[in-house]
Amino acid sequence: MDLESNSVEKQQTEGGGQEHHPSMYPSAMPGHQPGILAARPATVEWNYPRANASSLENGIPSISGYHDDQRTKDPAAFQDGKSALSSTGASTTHDYSAYINNQNPADPYSHAYQSQYYNYQHSTTDSSHQQVGIVQDTGATYQPLSSFQNASSYPQTNYSSTYYNPGDYQTTAGYQPQAAGYQSSDYTQQTNAWNNGNYASHQYSAYSVPDANAAQYSSSPAVDATHYQQQYGQWPGYYNQTAPDVMCAPGTEHMARSSVSGGSSLPDLNQGYPAKSNQPPPPGTTSWRQDPPASSSPYFQGKDVAGFSQTNDWQNRPLVFGNTPRAQAPPHFQQTLGSPTFVSVDEQRKTGYAKSPKMPFTPPGQVRPNFRPALNPLPTLEGLRGSKFQIPTNPRIATNLAFSVSKTDKESAEKDASIAPAYINVSVPSSTGEGTSHDSSQSLAKGAFPPSLRAYVERSFARCKDDAQRLSNQNILKEIITKATADGTLFTQDWDTEPLFTLPATSADNVSKGPQISFSLLSLNKLKRSPSRRAKSRWEPVVEEKPPVLTTNLNPVASDSTILNRFTPKTAEAKFAMPPSSTFRSPRKQAKKTRFSDPYPVQNGGVSSDSDKDQELTKLLSGAISMVDSPEERRKREHRSKRFEKSQEGKAGGHKNKAFRAGGGRNKKSKIPFTAKFDDAPRLAVEDMDWDSFTVRGTCQEIEKRYLRLTSAPDPSTVRPEGVLEKALALVQSTPKNYLYKCDQLKSIRQDLTVQRIRNEFTVKVYETHARLALEAGDLPEFNQCQSQLKTLYGEGINGCHFEFAAYNLLCVIRHSSTNRELVASMARLTPVAKRDEAVKHALQVRAAVTAGNYVLFFRLYKKAPNLSPCLMDLYVEKMRFEAIKCMSKSYRPTVPVSFVSQILGFSDGEDCADWLRAHGAAITAHADGNLLVDSKATAAGLYMPEPDDAVPHGDSNLAVDDFFTAKF
Amino acid sequence: MSEAQRSVAEFIRRFSDAYILQDGPFLTPLIAVSSCPPSPALFSVANSLSPNQDWGRFLKPFDAQLGEIVNHHLRAIQFFYSGRYADAYSAFEKSANVFLQEFRNWETAWALQPLYTIAYEIRVLAEKADQELASHGKNPEKLKGAGSFLMKVFGALATKGPKRVGALHVTCQLFKIYFKLGTVHLCRSVIRSIETARIFDFEEFPLRDKVTYMYYTGRLEVYNENFLAADQKLTYALTHCNPKRTSNIRMIVKYLVPVKLSLGILPKESLLERCNLPEYLNAVQALKRGDIRLLRRALSEHEDRFLKSGVYLVIEKLELQVYQRMMKKIYMLQKLKDPAKAHQVKMEVVVKASRWLEMDMDIDEVECIMAILIYKNLMKGYFAHKSKVVVLSKQDPFPKLNGKPVGD
Repeated sequence: MDLESNSVEKQQTEGGGQEHHPSMYPSAMPGHQPGILAARPATVEWNYPRANASSLENGIPSISGYHDDQRTKDPAAFQDGKSALSSTGASTTHDYSAYINNQNPADPYSHAYQSQYYNYQHSTTDSSHQQVGIVQDTGATYQPLSSFQNASSYPQTNYSSTYYNPGDYQTTAGYQPQAAGYQSSDYTQQTNAWNNGNYASHQYSAYSVPDANAAQYSSSPAVDATHYQQQYGQWPGYYNQTAPDVMCAPGTEHMARSSVSGGSSLPDLNQGYPAKSNQPPPPGTTSWRQDPPASSSPYFQGKDVAGFSQTNDWQNRPLVFGNTPRAQAPPHFQQTLGSPTFVSVDEQRKTGYAKSPKMPFTPPGQVRPNFRPALNPLPTLEGLRGSKFQIPTNPRIATNLAFSVSKTDKESAEKDASIAPAYINVSVPSSTGEGTSHDSSQSLAKGAFPPSLRAYVERSFARCKDDAQRLSNQNILKEIITKATADGTLFTQDWDTEPLFTLPATSADNVSKGPQISFSLLSLNKLKRSPSRRAKSRWEPVVEEKPPVLTTNLNPVASDSTILNRFTPKTAEAKFAMPPSSTFRSPRKQAKKTRFSDPYPVQNGGVSSDSDKDQELTKLLSGAISMVDSPEERRKREHRSKRFEKSQEGKAGGHKNKAFRAGGGRNKKSKIPFTAKFDDAPRLAVEDMDWDSFTVRGTCQEIEKRYLRLTSAPDPSTVRPEGVLEKALALVQSTPKNYLYKCDQLKSIRQDLTVQRIRNEFTVKVYETHARLALEAGDLPEFNQCQSQLKTLYGEGINGCHFEFAAYNLLCVIRHSSTNRELVASMARLTPVAKRDEAVKHALQVRAAVTAGNYVLFFRLYKKAPNLSPCLMDLYVEKMRFEAIKCMSKSYRPTVPVSFVSQILGFSDGEDCADWLRAHGAAITAHADGNLLVDSKATAAGLYMPEPDDAVPHGDSNLAVDDFFTAKF
Repeated sequence: MSEAQRSVAEFIRRFSDAYILQDGPFLTPLIAVSSCPPSPALFSVANSLSPNQDWGRFLKPFDAQLGEIVNHHLRAIQFFYSGRYADAYSAFEKSANVFLQEFRNWETAWALQPLYTIAYEIRVLAEKADQELASHGKNPEKLKGAGSFLMKVFGALATKGPKRVGALHVTCQLFKIYFKLGTVHLCRSVIRSIETARIFDFEEFPLRDKVTYMYYTGRLEVYNENFLAADQKLTYALTHCNPKRTSNIRMIVKYLVPVKLSLGILPKESLLERCNLPEYLNAVQALKRGDIRLLRRALSEHEDRFLKSGVYLVIEKLELQVYQRMMKKIYMLQKLKDPAKAHQVKMEVVVKASRWLEMDMDIDEVECIMAILIYKNLMKGYFAHKSKVVVLSKQDPFPKLNGKPVGD
């Protein structure tokens, strides 16, 4: 969410928005701060925790840096030249304070807004509390979502996570800034990164990406493509993303917050975060619950567990965007009392954001005025508006793009986007124009597709295995959507339960009818990687912290109805009109509700067949209500939501692009069992699950596959069977590509082996191959992983190169064991047969040389080291040399010839050695005959160990930023 | 009432009497399931228990806790004597858990003895259970479980009251488990609390526990190559150990000898013989003679043993001292021949000597060893690279370690 908002801002500002800026932003901005704030509340708040977490992890107080990033971004977004904002933390702090102050006001609106926007700050009133609580919840739940919202960014995140999962990477301090930036706004970050290099070119991609995010599930080819491009291009982006992901974990966030609050010098952070922590259990949960339920529950219903993650994301979006909707919604309603349905509201937003001239009330300028009166004349509000506009528009646009544009031709969409402000572009031809013109829900519907529909489209795309299928899929979808639009059932249709049509030549088997998490692949996607889905939630044990969310789920119907009643009852859209019950609570609630209203239609209806698409809204409504109310459904939803919350923690690894390619299949196999289990035993923890039943047999035939850490049940359609894996291994062994690529591929092979429980000589071969490659590349963490796996594999009696790796193990232990116990133990483990092996013998000799400090022996052994032992011995070389020169300088008098030292210590030539000696403080004199001599007495006093040239803050030079930028797959 | 039932009832009566009267010495033998030979009461009940026997009615008069203790205890006895050690362990742990719960509530330390026995029994049972589990291909995890149970016991004892003197005993049992499991790093936390917690006064603990504690911590120091501390701890253990416990003395000496050797202190042969530690004889000889070959032989001959006890690297490190001795011998021989030039040792001589010892070393390696000897202060002097000569200090060219570790 944060990301979205940021990205939106950026987009606006950077992309098409510049033109608009003058009008929109200036008006919106009493100070630029508001804008920033607006952006932040959503983004910043979230981001900060993450950022903090990341910074904390890294051990670097990079928070400031992070702030800077955000600020810079934000200011950038506001390009208007409002440098005031960009200044620094001071400005931000002010903003916060201002917000806080605002909160106090009794105005319901203000409260609502404040609370939502500044949720984390303090909320005095109950209502605010509730809201706050909600927000928090959403935050907790949706943090992962944020990543999701990034949806487009998702894949990226996934990648990053995968790459850097090793942990070291994530922690790398060097990347923090980026990560921070990323966290703040995933998109923005990406864009930023791009901006650095290719501003113009990237803008589009970035823009589209946000859209995609907004669209969330929309699998518009264009969007995906952009995503991919970004992903590939931006290694740095990956890093960044990873960091955020890590941070995203709810637990971590809290931690981060607290820590930040404690130690951070930034007032903003402190205020915001502490508040958050306090708020968690909203006192007035009931009211709150209702609101969220509407939004969240419907989605959930519609989508099965599989869909859940998506729905979550979606929900999150609303929440995040909630800011915008809230702000907008109130104005809208006020202005157009009778007319606005939810859909309309959404559209209005869109239009407004898009600034499409057609919309009477929607024009941003209009809205703002409305808002101001309605809301408190708070500067923050203005800022909020700005943020709102940005945020909402993007999603909508994205959705539009996803559907209309993306399917048909993303390029055109992009063009449009490029020309016009981001939003406008997005809305594009069919949907937006109509939507803007008509108040009616239908028209609106066209403009804004219900999330469920998006999910549906995604689903359908997800099952496509090749471009041809995608194409046909597209066409069919187009038909379906047009038909639904014509029938006016676009919103009423329960897309979540809508079975997917059969694809011509596809393996329809894989397609699951339930809602799917996976995103469709982009046909345009050059990389072949499918966008990632967000996965984790379902695996997570249920968390207790989420009461609010749960409640929301439970009450969805009521809340929905209330919401609907308020705004829509009178409107033509009977669908949404629920029993009019609740009064106006707070503007922001309304906004939220409106927001959620979108999901509503989706949730409705247990309609499953295509023919059902045409059902009337009323039917849908009733159906939805019944669905919502059923205790079963509630329970399910609860579980889901709980899981989801928890999932956020682990989310980092979560999304895999690859997994989505085949997409559909997974639902059947993995999701269903899980859901069932959860239903049966809601509290079932991960460790209680019967994992055996989830062992998969892969069906994927792709040889190449990127690694993404699994966060959900493996999808057989994305898992390669052993035969394919063998080809993949051969490919890796023969490819000229760099280690990063190979490592990635090997990890995915290992993963596929693991999920299929293949443990045989091929498995050993894979691990051995990877271990060797890792050694060659100096990737010790990866090597150690392989090594420990190999240990168990060998232990199971599977044949391989035991001895070679026993030798490696010894060499490693020498280095790692802090005490001798481990070394002795691993020596004791060697069998007599092993001790006769050349490699093992060599390793033992090395060990003896190292412990004895016998440098002569060591470098002799180094020269005749078998296999890849030299790679491991390299790790001691520097130390051995230094010890040796220390020893020699103390024992030799008066001089030692450099040539001798060079020969003894394994230098390639005397020059080399002399350089090294000088670098370590040795005193070198030239003898009369021209030979260089080490003056041992002078040397003994001056020796020192210089900082390694390649030292990096995070301790692993392999992770140097430059590598990332230059790394290409 | 059958004979078997009578003996069960009798056992329960004894147990409950001892428990209720808080008679530790009387209760202890009833708890020692694995004691050999078992106490008569335990033995008779063990023979009387049949799988389907129901002793519930005998337990009715007692409160729930005691009933549970006895119930699980009888089960444990039954399983133990039918050879089902894993089940016996589980039952015993249940009983022990309830007992520990009650133990916490008692203000006096009357039950320390029984608790010691429980700590001992649970470890022994866990070891047997793990053997059984491993032989069935299952995961042997009982000993680990016993470790965590003993940590709970430790927690119950680490209080201000009179029970605190029992903490060291449990600590020692924990050491045994950790050493057996190879998870000695877990010792650290216990050691820290023993050594730093204010409630503990080390001198207050029973001597036998102090000896055991010193033995284990001394071994840990050997691992860490912290020879001075190891020497101090093991010496404490040796001097306070019951002189009649020869096996304990042997265990201590086994570690003390290499520690002392690395500090330059050689044991008498008679000690090694008395303690049945022949594996060190060659090493000691090598040190005396400066015979590197002998040391190498000792290492390879007893490699497994040294590796198992963890002193391999310690012995290996004696190499330098052996070289020192060899150099000293060369020096003394040269002195006999020509006192004026004795302090100059040519490398050729050393290479010749090492060849004579069947050590295949060229001049570079010898040079390196000379350099290390000088560097580590085992030899005073310097090495002239140009002439390939070690020039020894005229004053005390081979300083003795005198209880200091090499390199200091």
